[in-house]
Order: sequence, then C-alpha cells, then structure tokens
Amino acid sequence: MSKIRRLLLAVLWLALIDVFVPPIVRRAEERRYESGAVYRFENSDLFALGPMVRYLREHPRGPRRRALFLGNSVIFGYGLETRDALPAQFEKLAGDTRVFNAAVNGAENGDSDLVGKAVIDSVDTLYVQLVRHDAARPILGMLIPVDDADARRFLLRRPDRIEATLQSLLGRVWRLYAFNDRLQAAFFGTSTRQYVYLHKRDLLLAMIGRTPRIPPETPHGALAVSLSARRDGSVLPRALLDLADVAKSHRKRLVILDFQRRTAAAAFNAAYAPYAEIVTIDVPPALLYDNMHLTAAGAEAVAAALLAHERERAP
Amino acid sequence: MIFTELRFVLLFILCWMTFFAVPRRWRGATLAAFGIVFYAMFAGPAIAVVLLLALAAYVRAPVALFVIVLIVAKAPLDAWVVPLGLSYLTFELIHVVIERRRGRIQEMSFDDLLAFAFFAPARVAGPIKRFPQFRAAVADAELSAADVYAGVLRILLGLAKKFILADVLALTVAESDYAASMRQAWIVVLAFGLQLFLDFSAYSDIAIGFARTLGIRLPENFNWPYLAANIREFWERWHITLSQWVRDYVFTPLGRALFGTRLRPHPKAIATISYLVTFAIVGAWHGLELRFVLWGLYHGALLAIFHVWRQYVPVRDSRPLRALGIAMTFVLVTIGWVPFFLPMEKATHMWALMFGVGR
Repeated sequence: MSKIRRLLLAVLWLALIDVFVPPIVRRAEERRYESGAVYRFENSDLFALGPMVRYLREHPRGPRRRALFLGNSVIFGYGLETRDALPAQFEKLAGDTRVFNAAVNGAENGDSDLVGKAVIDSVDTLYVQLVRHDAARPILGMLIPVDDADARRFLLRRPDRIEATLQSLLGRVWRLYAFNDRLQAAFFGTSTRQYVYLHKRDLLLAMIGRTPRIPPETPHGALAVSLSARRDGSVLPRALLDLADVAKSHRKRLVILDFQRRTAAAAFNAAYAPYAEIVTIDVPPALLYDNMHLTAAGAEAVAAALLAHERERAP
Repeated sequence: MIFTELRFVLLFILCWMTFFAVPRRWRGATLAAFGIVFYAMFAGPAIAVVLLLALAAYVRAPVALFVIVLIVAKAPLDAWVVPLGLSYLTFELIHVVIERRRGRIQEMSFDDLLAFAFFAPARVAGPIKRFPQFRAAVADAELSAADVYAGVLRILLGLAKKFILADVLALTVAESDYAASMRQAWIVVLAFGLQLFLDFSAYSDIAIGFARTLGIRLPENFNWPYLAANIREFWERWHITLSQWVRDYVFTPLGRALFGTRLRPHPKAIATISYLVTFAIVGAWHGLELRFVLWGLYHGALLAIFHVWRQYVPVRDSRPLRALGIAMTFVLVTIGWVPFFLPMEKATHMWALMFGVGR
C-alpha cells in the first residue's frame, strides 16, 4: 500500500505545483518579452520561436511600440554578443521601442513570411532581411500557426491531429505540461538543454563560487551606412511579396532590408507606400568582418541609419 | 521520442487496463492487438512487412525470413517499408525459428508470436527478448502496486537520462564538425560515448519500466558498462541482450563448427575467427555500412587479443589493476566509437586529431 500512497502523493504534489504555474509563466514571460533586456534566440535555435509567437498573439499590445526583426545570421548577429547585434542596437537607439530579434542563422524568405504573418497583428513594424531563397523550414508548421495554403506551398510538416488533440486535452488539466516550453523559453530564451550547454562554463564557475566572464565592451564605429531605393534589379521574391500584401491589408509597416542590392525597390515602394518599403543598404567593407556579417560597429551604423530613415519618413 | 507521445501513453494505458481485465488466456491476443495498433499508428504500412516476417517465423521458413529482411534492409532508409525496430525484430524472430528447430519451443500459437513480435515497449529499441521467458512472464503477470511503482520510477529514470543528460551531451557531440584540436576531439568523442550509453540505456529503462507496470520483467540491457575492467566484461555489461544473442546463435555454433575442422588443434585461432566473424555481424547489425563493420571488427580484434593474452598472463585481482583495466577498457572503447558516429572520412580525421597527427 505504501507504493500506492507514494504514487498518489506524487500526483498531489504535481497538482499543487500546477496551481502556481500560470502566475509563474505570466511573470517570467513579462520579464522576457516586455523588459528592457535584449531579446534574441539563444544560439540561434528555433525552440523559443513557438512560445514567442504564442505570447505575441495572446498579447497584441505591449507597454511600448514593437518591432520584429527577421532574417538570417546577418540580422541574428552571428559572431556578435546579443547586445551588439543590429536589433539590439536599434532598440538602444530608438529608446521607445521593444525589439524582438527573431532572426535565425540560415533562415530564408519563406521563414520570414510565415513568422511575420503569424504575428502581424501584434507588432508595429517588421524589419525583414531579403535573402536568396524563398524556402521555409518544414518544422515551422509544427511550431507556429500556418494556414493550409502555406503548409502546401512550403511543404511544411504538420502536427499529428490525434497527438495535437490529446496534447490540448491534457494541457487543459495539467498546466505544467501545457506551459513547459513557454516556461523554458521565458526563463532561458531557449530550451533548458541548450541553455545548460551554452552556459556550462559559467554554470560550473558559479557552482565553485567563481565569477563568470563578462565580455568586454565593443568599440563604437565612426563609419556610416547609406540607405537607398534602387530603380533596377529583380522583382521581390514571392514570399516577401506575400508578406508585403499582408502588411498592407493589416495596415502594418514592413521594411525589407536588401543588403545585396538585388531588387528593384523604387517601383515596389511606390506601389506599397506607406506600408511596405524596400531599403537598399550599402555597408562599407570596413563594417563587415567576413564580407557578409556585420561587425558591432556595422550593426550600430545600420541601426542608426534605419532609425533615421523611419524618423524622416514619419517625424 | 515515441514513448513521450500521448498517443503511445494513451494506447498503453488502454492496453494495461485490458491486459488485467481479460482472462489470462487472452493476454497474448490483447498484447498482439494493441501492439498491432501501436505499430500501425507509428510505422504505417510497414506493419505488412512485420506481419510477413512473423508469418515466416511461424511457419518455420528461415529462408523467407532472410529474404524479407534482406529486401527491407537494402531499401532506402526513409522508405515506408523499413519497419520500426527492424534489427531487433529480426534477431527475435531468428531466435524463435532456431529454438523451434532445436525443439526448445514446443508449442506456439500465432497470437503468442504476434504478442512477442509486436510488444510495443520493446519494439522501438529493444531489449532483445527471448520467447519462452516472455511467454511465461505474460502468463504469470500479476497486477501489483509494487510493479507499477517500480515501472513508473524506471520510466522516469529513463526520461531523465534521455532528456537531462543525453540530449545535453548530444549538443557537444554536434560540435564534431568544428573540432580542430586534440582537446576538442577527445571532448567530442568522450561526449558521444557517454551520450550513446545514456540515450540507449534510457530507451531500455523506459521499455523495461513500461513492461514492469504490466508485471512483465524484460531482460536488462546495461550494467554500468564503463566500469568493465576488460573488453570481455564490457560486452557482458553493454547491450547485454545483443551480446547474449550473438553468443548463443553465432559465436558458440561457429566455434563448435570450427572445432570440427582442421583448426581443431588451434583453439586460439578458432576463438579469433569466431570473435571476428561474430562482431563483424554485430557491426553490420547496427547498419549495413563499412564503418559499422569496421567498428565490429575492432571489438572482435580486441576480444581476440584479450582472449589470447589471458592464456599467457595469469589473472591477478587487485584494486589498482582493476582501476587500470577500467581506464584502459574505457579508452579503447571510446576510440572505437569514432566510426560509429562519424562517416569514415570524418572518422579518420577525428582519430588523427585525437592522436595529434591531424589539424
């Protein structure tokens, strides 16, 4: 009988813990998504994407204006500290805007299209990097809400219906189960295992009472970047045209960042003004560290140029 | 992971309730029915292949069994025909065919065989069961709170090993492409050795745990393998059910057959050949690729060397010697894992890095 009692006791403990789950999630998400702490997916993994999208959809308005940055490693800030990436520098300079860096290494236009559409009603401005391909990662179909047409177009994986129904039913009675990924994303910005892996050195140092390493301040740049709207070039890829149409119909601002001088921006800008706009960004080589990725000073210069451009447009 | 999918959990709860609700004589049919539903749910049309294999084993048609396995194993890995846990299933069914031929399995109903072949907890990644013990365990199973408690704890232990330890180590293993120094190479390979053990033993723990809640004891698969003091002891502690299977159905019959040849006066040569052949099969069982066969031959060679060495060096049991043996065995096994998780070209590079001859 003692074994049964122990099992029942374990269930009772879980039930007791469950009472505190919603307020803990609320507080942790508020701190993660609305505070001044810089937001970026840790290690550029997709774990936190689903929880972030769910939070934004459930909270369409925040205490500040919201800007969402989408793109690949250039926007994510590959090789840079979180605070030095373009979105973080933009947030620092803007002052009154909460910036979400939802860029992921290797992301394509299709990824940005799907994520952008999923949160279009919960952000004020979308900054989307124009990249080469229109594809999307099949896993997005499991992580964020997508419609059937997009699922077919991007060959997305979809959740098993029986499994999804069972998860929803169990989630209604066991909130720790329902909120477990949101809790992890809110506490760590990624999954617990990624967090432990990324911070293993600091965690070990903390365990033996030593202070973790604090990265040094990054020098500021003196160079500037220029923004323009090219007249020639190819047509905007279909995935981003799709996103531009959605932005226009939802009366949201979409800024497409063309670092490669690919598209004919002028005609597009005339058709989609004032909702969507392509800006061609010329970055001096001195602000790139491998001909592709921005240095901290480069990210700061691009952020400053984007902000100045937005303020010029709508003073 | 199938075990954490709610479809599996719900199906297992239904199976558990039905198993104890029906008369004992229907238990085999119950496990078979739920096993088939489980298989249809997670492996789709591949169920047809498993039914064919079970039928071939039932009618004692080893050739048919062999042909089906060969066709399926040669199919592309993502083809729908590759059944879930095919390698485990094949060895279980070969055991049934051999033991029936030897007369050790006298009577066998088709539903008992289906219950054995489709037993859901052990279908994903073992342990490799034996039919007589499994049938007896099903017949004797009693509803007991102690078993349910022990089973649930074992499942939780497995989940913790998998999600807290193995999956974190997997992130370090994923650094293998970027390893550029001896230190990094050793860290990645050590991480893989630990991850493989924790991941694989976690699956075994969960399978054993689910079965235990039904009152069915599955054979243990791991017994602190990295504490083995020599390579033979390692294989007595690592993937035990596979070791026992190859011992019974490859190593011993092969050794016996070789004793009937001109090699009879050379027992060391017989042991060496038997170890090499047996472990080449063990390697191929993990995947029909050269690197797995190479890994198997490496272990076969280590076992053969140890066997010959033992003939000349008397065994002395002392703590320092045992500690030295544990360290040596661990290092040798760790070196051997390289082709197990990396393609040959990368494995060669990794070995070069580990021994300071590459960059």
